[in-house]
Parts: sequence; C-alpha cells; structure tokens
Amino acid sequence: MRIRLNASMIAVAAAAAVVGAAISASVTQSAGAPAPRAGDIAGRPNFSGIWQANNEAHWDVQAHAARPGAVMQPGVYPFEYAQVAAAPVVALGAAAGVPASLGIVEGDGEIPYTPEALAIKKQNAEHWIDRDPELKCYLPGIPRAMYMPYPFEITQSTNKIHMAYAFATTARTIHLDEVDPPPADTWMGHSVGRWEGNTLVVDVANFNDKTWFDRAGNFHSDALHLVERFTLATPDVIQYEVTIEDPKVFTRPWRISMPIYRRMEPNMQLLEYRCTEFAEEFLYGHIRNEPLVKRWEGETMIVDITRKVPPGDKFYEWFRK
Amino acid sequence: MRTRLVIVIGVAVVIAAVALFVTLGRPGATGAASGQTGPAPETSWGEPDLQGIWSYDFEVPLQRPARFGNREFFTEEEQATLDKERERILNQDDRRYERGSEQDVGGAYNAAIFTTHKPTGRRTSLIVDPPDGKIPPLTPEAQKKRAEIREFQLALLQPTDVCKNNLQGCAGGKFGPVSPRRAETPPHYLTAAGAGGPGGGGGVINRSDNPEDRSLGERCMAAVLPDFGGNTGFYLQIIQSPGAVSIFYDTAQGQGWQRVIPVTDNPHLPSNVRQWWGNSRGRWEGKTLVVDVTNFSPKTYFQGSYENLHLVERWTRLDANTIEYAVTIDDPTTWTRPWTVKQEYNKQNDFANRHYKEPRCHEGNYGMAALLVGARAEERAFAQGRGPNPATMCTAGCGGFNAGFGDTGEESNPLTR
Repeated sequence: MRIRLNASMIAVAAAAAVVGAAISASVTQSAGAPAPRAGDIAGRPNFSGIWQANNEAHWDVQAHAARPGAVMQPGVYPFEYAQVAAAPVVALGAAAGVPASLGIVEGDGEIPYTPEALAIKKQNAEHWIDRDPELKCYLPGIPRAMYMPYPFEITQSTNKIHMAYAFATTARTIHLDEVDPPPADTWMGHSVGRWEGNTLVVDVANFNDKTWFDRAGNFHSDALHLVERFTLATPDVIQYEVTIEDPKVFTRPWRISMPIYRRMEPNMQLLEYRCTEFAEEFLYGHIRNEPLVKRWEGETMIVDITRKVPPGDKFYEWFRK
Repeated sequence: MRTRLVIVIGVAVVIAAVALFVTLGRPGATGAASGQTGPAPETSWGEPDLQGIWSYDFEVPLQRPARFGNREFFTEEEQATLDKERERILNQDDRRYERGSEQDVGGAYNAAIFTTHKPTGRRTSLIVDPPDGKIPPLTPEAQKKRAEIREFQLALLQPTDVCKNNLQGCAGGKFGPVSPRRAETPPHYLTAAGAGGPGGGGGVINRSDNPEDRSLGERCMAAVLPDFGGNTGFYLQIIQSPGAVSIFYDTAQGQGWQRVIPVTDNPHLPSNVRQWWGNSRGRWEGKTLVVDVTNFSPKTYFQGSYENLHLVERWTRLDANTIEYAVTIDDPTTWTRPWTVKQEYNKQNDFANRHYKEPRCHEGNYGMAALLVGARAEERAFAQGRGPNPATMCTAGCGGFNAGFGDTGEESNPLTR
C-alpha cells in the first residue's frame, strides 16, 4: 500500500515537472537543475546547431602513425613499415594516405578485444575495401557517425533531440520521453536520453552487428551497449564521451572521448551526401552489361587503373623519353 | 461493432493483410492518436508546435476523377460507395492475369507488397487549385521531353508480349521487332516509371544493362519532395528547436530521408549547388511555417518537373491532432500555371513511436543485384541458344495489378479511374 502511494506521488511529481518544464524554460528551476542561461531549452543547455569532429578517428580510433595508403602492399623492403600504397588507392597518390593520430581511446589506448575478436579485427583491416560498410554507403551506426568527416545537425526540443547526419542522409532521435522500444535490431541504435545536470546522457542499444567503429576494422556485435555523455565545454565545443560495452567482443568496457566543434561558417547548412547513388558502381559495377571489370582471378575482380597524362604536361616529359 | 482493419505500411502488417479480408474502416484502432482533440499547442519558446509523428488517415486522389467536375467534396454516400467498390476489387481471390504471363508475375509482387489502403477521405482531390482538381497542362517543352522518354520506352517494349497483346503498358506503341534503340543511351536521365507517360510497375525502361536503367525506386532513391503518400504511405517525424524544424520522412519502403529546415532570412544555395531534395528556407508567418524550396537536381523527378521545381510549403497546426500541409508547385518550364495541393496530416501515437528510419532499402537491396545478375544470365543463355532473346521479355512497364488494382476498366482504382 505504502509503495503504491509513493509510486503514484512520484508519478504526479514527474508529470508536474514535465508540465512545468513545458510551460517555461526560465521562470522556475526544479531543485538540482542548473541556473538558466540564454538560449536554454527547458532549462537545459541547447546543443542545437551544426557540428563536426575534427580528428582522424574515422580512419582508426586507436593511436597510429601515418601510412602511405588506406590499402597497402609490400614495397622493395620486406619490412611492414616500408609498405607502399596498393592498387585500389594508388591512383589517388598522396590523397590516399592515412594521417597520423593520437587516437580517441582513453587509458592505455588498447581496445580490450577477446582473442577471437582480435583475430576478426585483423582480418577486417586486411579486407577493408570488401568489408567496411561505409564504402557501401550503409548506415554508419553510433558512435561512428559522430566522428565521420561530415557535419551533422542537432535539433533539440524538450522531449526529443534529433541528430541529422550528412553521410547517407541518416538520422537518429534521442528520446527524452518514454517510447516503445524498436521491433527489431537497428543500424543506428535506439537512443534514450536523460539529463545529469548540464550533461546529456544517452543510453544506446538495440544494435545489429553490421556497423564498424572506423576504417581500420574495429567492430562490435549485436550486444553493443553505449552510454554517451554530451557536455558543452564552451558554447561552440561539445565534450563527447562514450562508454562502450559488448561482452561478446570486449573483455571489459572501454571509453572514447573527443571534442566536437560547431561549424561557424556564415550560412552554414547541412548539405546532402546521398551516397546510395555513389556506391552503385562499387556495388553493381561488375554486373553491368559492359562492366569496367577487366577480368576475374578466382573471387577477385581486376579493374585496370588508367591515368591519362595531359598533353604537354612538363612533369612527365622526361619520363616518356 | 464490426471488426475494422486499417492497413498501414510495414511488411509484417501487409503479409498479414494478404491472408485477411480487406475492410476499409475509419481510423482510430491502429497507430492513430485518440479521437479527442484540443487547441493547437505552442513550444516552450512560444512558436507554433508542429512536433510529433504524423501521417494521413484517409485516401484522397491527387487528381480529381473527371466525373466529379469542379466539386471539392464527396457526399457521405459517395464515400461509402467508393469504399465498397474498392473493397470488392481488393478482395477478389481470382483477379489474376493469365497464369504464367509476365503481368501475372508482376501483379503477384504488387499484390503482396503494395496493398496499402485507407478509407476514402472527404476531398475529391488533393489538388485544390486549379479548381478542376487537375495538374495543369504541360508546356510544349515538357511535352517534348516526356514524348522523347515515351518513344524510347516504347522502342524497348515493342518486341514484348505487352505490345503483342496490346496491353495498357504499350499505349501509343505497337508490336514490332527488336529495336536498334535498345543499344542507345536514354535521351534523358531516367527516374520513375511514369516519367514518359502511362505504364506502371518496375523500372523505367525495359532493359537492365545498368542500375541506371532501373527506376529510382528500385535503386532505393524513390523519396521525393513533395511526397503525398502513394502506394506505401508515409510517416513524418517533426522535431523543432528555435531556428530549425527537422523532419524525417519514413517513406517508400525504407527509402526514408530527412531535411532540417532552417528558419532564416539567409539566401538559398548558389544556383550551381543542386540537391535531390532541394534547398529549404523557412520563416514563420503567424501560425504557419512557410518554406521556400529551390535548387533541385536535374535527377529529381516530380510529375514531369526536374531541376526547375519551385515549392512554397505552408505547414499549419490546425488543432492538437491535425496539421494542414499546403504546397504551391511551380515550374514555368513544365506547367502552364502553378498548382496547389492540400493534405491533412493526422497525429500518431507518440509512445507507440511507429516511425522507422530503418531497415533501409539500400542495405538490403538484393533486388538490384539479382536483377542485373539475372539479366546477365539471360544474355548468356540466349547467346548459347538456351533461352529467348532477353529483348523480347518484359521487366518494366509490363502492367499488372498495381497496389491491388487493375490497369484499366472495372478492376482499376475507382479513385483514380
């Protein structure tokens, strides 16, 4: 009896708090809530705007030295550190390299893979072009969408926060109110948010096992569970931290963190990157009536890379002689 | 109370519907919000509140059937008669084309997937201007473009059964030998099955040499602005912040898309920057969000219009459960005058959250790969003398039951007849 009474009192208090929050952002603050600031939404920091991470985590979340190509092959020396760019990216020259990074993994920088999972990660890295869902323009998942080299836009309201990502024109909704969970596993996860003071804490689950963390083959299973923390470090910087848990793949939870910056350009807006179309040649080029694929060697398709030297190009003159 | 079944999108629901008796009932039972309504709310920062999950609960044809002239509303009797007639057609067990024909195969797919039907609404057409409820005539320039696409479509259809049997898909053409045009590049960028005129279902042209031969729908890029629903219906999710209105369109079998409309006086994008869904600029006029949309891509297609499409959308929350969406559609290179469409959106249950940003069409698009692999296999078989000439087989514009209705006559949809 007493328990029921308490529960109903809490429900009434919660309903009153919601109504109060909806009526005014600035008149009254409930106990423990932060002091009001201009631009707040219902008394909470407003993350609305266009944002983008500015780091190398989309290549590899772990600390790494620069390398000459996203796909490499042995060069003249037998050493791993002396590899050169391989055919799939060689036509891109210095634009195909991978920049060095301090990484975003906290602590010792290691991802605590189980031995079996570590073997899969290494295979993923070797077969990057064939396995990375990004190249197929599949939904990137969370947290990867947060630090891909594309902007995203936050539209923050009182009960929902919408995140719209330029890549693949995908999106997720962070539910601050209670909703029915999704009927099936998802690429982008099911996000449920709450406030801890000025920090937005988002619990993300209901993932499938098809998304990656980066272009280095770091992966997870459908048991992935994230706790994200968004804090405004300055009006134009979000401090973003994620605790990553997946008992099928990792031996313990691990954390990533990074600043995410506001895009400050005048008239900045989210533009389309509808890569479904851009991935068609990649996905279906080999089954065209007249494909670019030159020949097959077993399961491998061979596509010639040709480069036309512009007539009169001085750089290649001596080379041609 | 008789059992009511409102069929909404979702493959699971559709599969169930195939086995059940289709009844066009008034909404309320499924995802829709309760029948009670109240005044239009405001956000905590004092702007009109458009937020929530929205769909439309009634089916209204885009264009008014000619027999209703300039009349804007059906009588209740007419609504009931139309629903009865639609139920009759949808519930015929044996409405099939000749077994083994390409139309029968096409119809089977459509019957299993696209039987999304809602009860008939009060309006006789979504188009409120011009007064006849019809899309204005095409300009000579647009007619020429459409005719060129149609001519190419017919050239590729002419050696198939569709033309041999003089079916609707061959309208304007006649049976003939394999055309040398089959090897040509299409005269315009291909988009939707109807881009050249009549002929529904499948790709745009009867050829699968490349993914670009197929329709934007088969390429998982069907979503258009403006979107009035069509065979798959839609659910919109609107979330607002001061200065922005974000909309995710859950539409076209997992081909959903999103737009974040900035509320701003800033200018549109430079004219060389073109986008599939254009460039939106919003402003509040009293209780109404007015959105100006320009900068469409030459690859977009809306009822004959491409990159010169210009929309002025007006979003108004009429009451707690209703948004009125009005859009004025203009393209002087395509139509002889602007036209205006009005649609009412009904609020859906927030807790049920029936709004899916996935599974996405593209991630599961085995269809495109299978279509192209199949076409290559047919070509090999023909070259080895093991099969018919693929040019004589129909994979696009073949006709068949569309969304459960026939192409013409008594079996066609009485709302679009």
